[in-house]
Amino acid sequence: MAATAVHAGGGLADHIHPEPQGFVRKYVFSIDHKIIGIQYMITAFLFMILGGMLAELIRVQLMKASGGLMTPETYNEVYSIHGSTMVWLVIIPLLTGGFGNLIFPVQIGARDVAFPWLNMLSFWIFPVAGLMLYASFLMGAPTAGWTEYPPMSLQGQAGTSMWAAAIFLIGVSSTMTGINFLVTILKMRAPGMTYTRMPLFVWGQFVTAPLLMIATTALGAALAALFVQREFGVAFFDPARGGSPLLWQHMFWFYSHPAVYIMILPAFGMISEILPTFSRKPIFGYKMIAFSSCAIAILGFMVWAHHMFTSGLAPALQLPFMVLTMLIAIPTGVKIFSWVATLWGGVIHMTTSMMFAIGFLATFTLGGITGVFLAAVPFDLHAHGTYFIVAHLHYVLVGGSLMGILAGLFYWYPKMTGRLMNETLGKWAFWLFFIGFNGTFLPMHWLGMWGQPRRVAMYDPQFQGWNQVASWFSFVMTAALILVLINALWSMRNGKRSGHNPWNARTLEWQIPSPMPYYNFKHVPSVFAAPYDFAEPLPYRGLEEELTGAPPPVPAAH
Amino acid sequence: MAVASVAHSGFAGYAEEPDQLYIETRELRIQGFLLFMVSDLVLFSSFIFAYLYLRNSGQGWPAGGPKLDIALAAINSIVLFGSGATMHFALENWKHGSFVKFANWIVMTIILGAGFLSGQVMEYIHIGARWDSGIFGASFYTLTGMHGLHVFGGIIYLTVLLLQAAQGKYTFTKYTGLTLGTLYWHFVDVIWVVLFSIFYLL
Ligand code: HEM
Ligand SMILES: [Cu+2]
Repeated sequence: MAATAVHAGGGLADHIHPEPQGFVRKYVFSIDHKIIGIQYMITAFLFMILGGMLAELIRVQLMKASGGLMTPETYNEVYSIHGSTMVWLVIIPLLTGGFGNLIFPVQIGARDVAFPWLNMLSFWIFPVAGLMLYASFLMGAPTAGWTEYPPMSLQGQAGTSMWAAAIFLIGVSSTMTGINFLVTILKMRAPGMTYTRMPLFVWGQFVTAPLLMIATTALGAALAALFVQREFGVAFFDPARGGSPLLWQHMFWFYSHPAVYIMILPAFGMISEILPTFSRKPIFGYKMIAFSSCAIAILGFMVWAHHMFTSGLAPALQLPFMVLTMLIAIPTGVKIFSWVATLWGGVIHMTTSMMFAIGFLATFTLGGITGVFLAAVPFDLHAHGTYFIVAHLHYVLVGGSLMGILAGLFYWYPKMTGRLMNETLGKWAFWLFFIGFNGTFLPMHWLGMWGQPRRVAMYDPQFQGWNQVASWFSFVMTAALILVLINALWSMRNGKRSGHNPWNARTLEWQIPSPMPYYNFKHVPSVFAAPYDFAEPLPYRGLEEELTGAPPPVPAAH
Repeated sequence: MAVASVAHSGFAGYAEEPDQLYIETRELRIQGFLLFMVSDLVLFSSFIFAYLYLRNSGQGWPAGGPKLDIALAAINSIVLFGSGATMHFALENWKHGSFVKFANWIVMTIILGAGFLSGQVMEYIHIGARWDSGIFGASFYTLTGMHGLHVFGGIIYLTVLLLQAAQGKYTFTKYTGLTLGTLYWHFVDVIWVVLFSIFYLL
């Protein structure tokens, strides 16, 4: 049966590439989406260590109202590179290039992404750009935050141009990844894998890919304009010659608001896989979750000016941007309710992965709610530029995106290594992380309400108590992350062997061996239902030989 | 269809029907290329937005408008659209199995593209502004410069395609690369329509 299929089809689905030989082709310049995914993850976690060190420098500086550790200039450099690192070198690469590459092609039953060579190029741009970003420290790093508003970014030292070039390169890499993923999902799904049968993690990547493609290019334009203004005096943002600093804000946020969804939609997808698996219950509202992601992605392009309420935006524009922004809370809320309803009455298995996923629900929801506060113009006029913003963005990015990533790491680790991460260490890490995270960022809500401005190296002594609380808890959170890294390294050798499907999960990646073989499937399966119905047998046909010792079919002779 | 024209072909691979792998790969590549053009379009759109924003923000736009030569630009546009037509003929002739006609038309395309670029240089000299002289220079030279680079890149691209075709990299039934080159060239044309309208007609 399978053998005849090979001859009848003869297309990409039957085209098994011979496994590359030699260390370099296998692990360095690999074109295998799974290896590339792991490369992304390792690189991003390395940058996370750097970004985390910068974060702790910030928290140490803020232990004392008078600062003291660094000069204000250095402090500005540190938080600028911290933010840039975490957004562009950690969260986005982990969610798209990392987990995206590793998992979604298998989940749609493909052998690889559409353009494996492009995929390799996307990856290799990433560490180069990251090193360029850090090289900017040598030339005087940017000092205007990750948003680099002119006129301050025009006055920054040479490192600001380096920053622009590095982020531009990262953008090129993201755009290529977006194109690659989109074509893969559009064209390379296994037979029977209709759009409404795709796992929700695939849906997450599916709506993120166009954002990567479109929004990132807009950012590229803004960065190019900033670069040529700085280096060649082209007058884009210079008010003295008719340019406009506001133009930068428009161009930057037209990217960066969609970018915040780049940083959360894939995490939504991860949570939508993990919650049903560990509550042994079909996901509640599959279509609602999928379509609300689309709604979020589309609305996400229409709300950028909510970052500019205090920048002199025409009052007539404030109202529509406020209303549209608040509308986004609706599809977001739909998801939250669907997830909670998935848990309701389920048989909950409290693995570490599940704990992170439930932690995500709690903290992300809080961040979403403060987002709606900020969407209200009168409130934002008060809170803009204060620690309230810092609180909001860390609740969604750390409490949301990073928690999702950690849940995903514990969940999919066996698919990379064939071993489980240690659960005891993992649970310790979860509780330390959860307590450390909330202890660090919860006080920032009221610090912000009381008026402590963000991005300043010193502050009014009356805020010192809560700042010290935040700093101490941030050490706890860092310890938790170190524990996760240690766990991941230790388990590579010493973790319990996982077998192919330790969680009894139903998506396709769990039906093949762990670690996943280079060809993914011996025979591409056909699919006849969405994967979440835990009462039914698996909705796949053609997987009989995947776990047997039978060798993969001979590569088709092309 | 393919069988009927075998007689006219000197290419060995000509009689070979495109197989499933080729068909699927072709679809992927065309789809990917279309998406690449979408994101390229976003790049242009962002700068177009910047131009319109700066021009309408009130200050710094040259009084009485910049010194543009609309007649020169119109002729130049015709040259570029002509090259779009010749590129179309090139691909059609390839599909009908004539390498020589294909090569002639593509050389024509390259010449017209180079003509367009020289026209642009003349226009730049005529305008006499600088990239860093205010917002007109910023938006006009950035946008037309980016477009010019696209044309220049396109000329190199078409030259490479021509050489590859001459070396037998494509057959009359398998020619995805040529399709992509044609798409690219038309794309550059379309961008020019937009740029011409917003700078010369607005
Ligand atoms: C219910 C959904 C959300 C709403 C209504 C919302 C609303 C807002 C608003 C109005 C601001 C601007 C505050 C100001 O600067 O005055 C803001 C800032 C921010 N938001 Fe959200 N947000 C939402 C979700 C998210 C998500 C999911 C993320 C990322 C994963 C995110 C990341 C950020 C970041 C990073 C900033 C700060 C930007 C800066 O550095 O100035 N937000 N949000
Ligand atoms: Cu936003």
